[in-house]
Amino acid sequence: MPDLLSLGVSGLNASQLALDTTGNNISNVNTAGYSRQTVQVGTQQPQQVGDFYMGNGALVEGVQRQYSQFLTTALRNASASQAQSTAYSDLAGRLDNLLAGTSATGLQSSLDSFFAGVQDLANNPSDTPTRQALLGDAQALAQQFQGLAGQFSQFQSEINTRLGADVTQINSLAQNIAQLNGQIVQMQGAGQAPNDLLDQRDAALQKLSALVGVTAVPQDNGTLNVMVGNGQQLVLGTQASALKVVSNSYDPSRSEVALAGTGTVISGQLSGGEVGGLLAVRDQVVVPAQNQLGRMALALGSAVNAQNASGMTLNGQMGGAVFSLPAPTVLSNSTNTGSASIAASISDPTQLTSNDYTLRDTSSGWMLTRSDGTSVALGGAGTAASPFTADGLSFVVSGTAQVGDSFQIQPTRNAAAGFALALNDPAGLAAALPVASSTSSSNTGNATIGTPTVTDASNPGLLGTANITFTSPTTYQINGSGSYAYTSGGAISMNGWSVAISGTPQAGDSFSVGSNAGAVGDNGNALLMGNLAQKGVLDNGATTVNQAFGQLVSSTGTLTQQSQNQLSAQTALVNQATSAQQSVSGVNLDEEAANLVRYQQSYQAAAHVISTAQTLFQSLLTAIGGA
Amino acid sequence: MRISTFWAQQQAVNQMDLNQSALSQTQMQLSSGTKLLSPADDPAGAARALDLSSYNAAVTQYSSNIDTGTARLGLEDNALSQATTLLQSARTLALEGLNGSQSDQSRQAIATQLYQQLQQLVQIGNSQDANGEYLFAGNTTRTQPFTQDANGNVSYAGDQGQRGVALSPGQTVATGDPGSSVFMQVPSGNGSFAVTAASGNTGTAVVGATSVSNPSAWSPADYTVQFTAPDTYQVLDSGGNVVSSGSYSDGGSISFNGISMTLSGTPAAGDSFSVAPSGTQSVFSSLKQIADALNTSAPDDASVAAMSNKINAALQSLDQGLQTLGETRAKVGARENMLSAQKTANGNIGVQIQSTLSGIQDVDYASTISQLNLQMTALQASQQAYVKVQGLSLFNYIQ
Repeated sequence: MPDLLSLGVSGLNASQLALDTTGNNISNVNTAGYSRQTVQVGTQQPQQVGDFYMGNGALVEGVQRQYSQFLTTALRNASASQAQSTAYSDLAGRLDNLLAGTSATGLQSSLDSFFAGVQDLANNPSDTPTRQALLGDAQALAQQFQGLAGQFSQFQSEINTRLGADVTQINSLAQNIAQLNGQIVQMQGAGQAPNDLLDQRDAALQKLSALVGVTAVPQDNGTLNVMVGNGQQLVLGTQASALKVVSNSYDPSRSEVALAGTGTVISGQLSGGEVGGLLAVRDQVVVPAQNQLGRMALALGSAVNAQNASGMTLNGQMGGAVFSLPAPTVLSNSTNTGSASIAASISDPTQLTSNDYTLRDTSSGWMLTRSDGTSVALGGAGTAASPFTADGLSFVVSGTAQVGDSFQIQPTRNAAAGFALALNDPAGLAAALPVASSTSSSNTGNATIGTPTVTDASNPGLLGTANITFTSPTTYQINGSGSYAYTSGGAISMNGWSVAISGTPQAGDSFSVGSNAGAVGDNGNALLMGNLAQKGVLDNGATTVNQAFGQLVSSTGTLTQQSQNQLSAQTALVNQATSAQQSVSGVNLDEEAANLVRYQQSYQAAAHVISTAQTLFQSLLTAIGGA
Repeated sequence: MRISTFWAQQQAVNQMDLNQSALSQTQMQLSSGTKLLSPADDPAGAARALDLSSYNAAVTQYSSNIDTGTARLGLEDNALSQATTLLQSARTLALEGLNGSQSDQSRQAIATQLYQQLQQLVQIGNSQDANGEYLFAGNTTRTQPFTQDANGNVSYAGDQGQRGVALSPGQTVATGDPGSSVFMQVPSGNGSFAVTAASGNTGTAVVGATSVSNPSAWSPADYTVQFTAPDTYQVLDSGGNVVSSGSYSDGGSISFNGISMTLSGTPAAGDSFSVAPSGTQSVFSSLKQIADALNTSAPDDASVAAMSNKINAALQSLDQGLQTLGETRAKVGARENMLSAQKTANGNIGVQIQSTLSGIQDVDYASTISQLNLQMTALQASQQAYVKVQGLSLFNYIQ
């Protein structure tokens, strides 16, 4: 026969525990990662009384956390993607704003000012202040390129720093999870699930996935194994392994994530989390933009230099380089065993791409691969006399390579950083054409000679004088020798220039072409330099510098826009997943209030049972005492 | 669905954050006046805006080029106009000097004036622009093109270069003419041939008008018209062969091989006149020849005739010079017209670019302000909702 008093006490205990749990829920309403707990109450083992069983009161079976493995995993994955998009769109957006040349300080306006300066030079070729102003514009343009390049290397070093900090955090979280695994195994052995430790482990895992995408596999003994990349173990039971940041095997300025134990680089396999975002934005936005900017700088600089070298300076000499342009960067792999070194140079700036290249010595000879993965056929033999050529580049191999040795070539990466003004003397700007034509004053025919165009500025005889004398209206000789047939308007080419004579000459008429030294008012070459603004100097002459910059801004803008859209989509997903997860595990204060009332009432009722038992006992005593 | 109290509040706060950031975006668009706050807002539009603003900068620069070119052409036109006036006045003086009533003295006075005009003409040829560049030096703009030596002969030190100005991509217009073509290489005589009286002539025959009367019969070569008697002449070619002959009377004309020339006065037997195809002669030397002729004493009829022949020949060349100046001025005018037409066109292009650019990047105030109002309402609503829902708690009713 059950005892009313112990029945009351069991109810009292159950209500007390339920009230405590409710209190705990209310206290943890704002605790991140807390899963609401509920008390599991069952009935006591019944007691046989004669032919039937009497209930023996309530029994608290356990305190359970409200938790769904599925929803928590979904939330973790969504958070990893959100963290990746956040890091990506943050950096892409900043880079995008940097390139936005719509303001008066952008690269576009520097380009415009430079070409306006060239036109001003054409309007005033002999004026030193105008020349000085153009040099100022050129200096500003160079600084703009260098400034942008500086920002790019800032981005690179920020990515390196953040990767380092993230890896440190990943390692400490992995340690944390391994320790919790140990404690959980221990306490689980004691029987009941350690709810709060499980919550802590979930929270640590959640933080970890904000840093890098992970896979968690629960084990039967209660531990959780955590893997990154393609299944590299980060936590195995109570053992945590570590990651570390190492320099790229080619490029020491580029950090990679590697396994601390073996040193194997796993950057390529990581996705998700801030680390995934940083690695992706570096490969998809920062490096391509840096290369495109460098390519623009190289193409513009080469075209301006070539034009200046085709003209004549104020001092009557052939012009030199206006800008100094850096040679391609060649980086040898740190694991190379041979003694080979590579010298790379740019043979045709109009053919440059914005790729980096890997030149590898394979068993079947040297192979060149673009950073987009396509391989390029190499022309030439790789010697100084016949260098390898591909994509506007040429390579000379010296020393002996071992099979497997490789080199990375970055033709454009550092070009914007090294784009500098090489000309300090305003007189060195070649505004004049190097050669001029003249008509003899004693000519009696009506033939006229045009302005010579320079076809080969490097011709050693370019500035020599050529006298074209007509021996008859249809034949002419040059410098008193030869006899050439004359057609009106036909081009006469020699010494690296070409000129047209048209009209009807008379025998004895003569024309001459020779050095234009002293013609300080000539602006022929400056006009040609001004035309470079509209001339295709990239992609085999198909793209102007302005167009290339527009493409850079629009492609970076598109990537940024995509990443921003992705971020809002991911945020919506995280919100959804959080709602779903919280609807199971979150604390609702109204619900807890109702529970408080409910358990208070059941407590009061149980107390009443005890009081009734007492009254009953009292009645019995009174009855006995009264007898 | 169960609602977690913490998450419900967090969501309300998140929503307010979102509303606030949208509002701030709109506010920034309104205050900056541009809807492209970053290229990511409209990547294609941003690239187009860059392209257009660069085009606009180029058009502005072309307009400034045109202003420079117009100023240079204006200076040239002005100098050419001065030179024309000067040569016309010299021409009048020369005709005055030919007048039979002049004495040696009065002719010398005219010659003095002409020498002064020659100096003035040299100065005009050496005109400079505001930067100190010589207008008529070709491309050797820092070298004085015309210098007069001690004998009064003028030489040209410039070249035959011509500067261009860029009006639009790939289009240039010359903004000057070298002094060689304006002043130096002027056709002599009547442009086809020139007649010179032999220095030993003793008669009083003076060459008047000359012309090519039949261009198909005229072949440019040297000829000599020789008077065998005061009323008979023969024409010899350079080989001494007689190509034509005839009789002459005062005021009559001599024609051969498609050309004709009028003579007045009476030649002496043995007087001769040479006919040569036109070469070139500078206006300076034409002017100097007239002045030199007037400056020479002419005591008798024969020397007056010699003087008249010299002056007439030089006047013909001077007229060629005037014609060259006129032609050059016409060319300058045509170039000025071209520049001004292109300037107008550039202005129109500029307006078009601005309006396209404005369509791409400028804020549409009406729609943006109404958007701002909507966003403000949304933010207010979410704030009010938060406050209201926040107050709802079962604990309020449990005492």
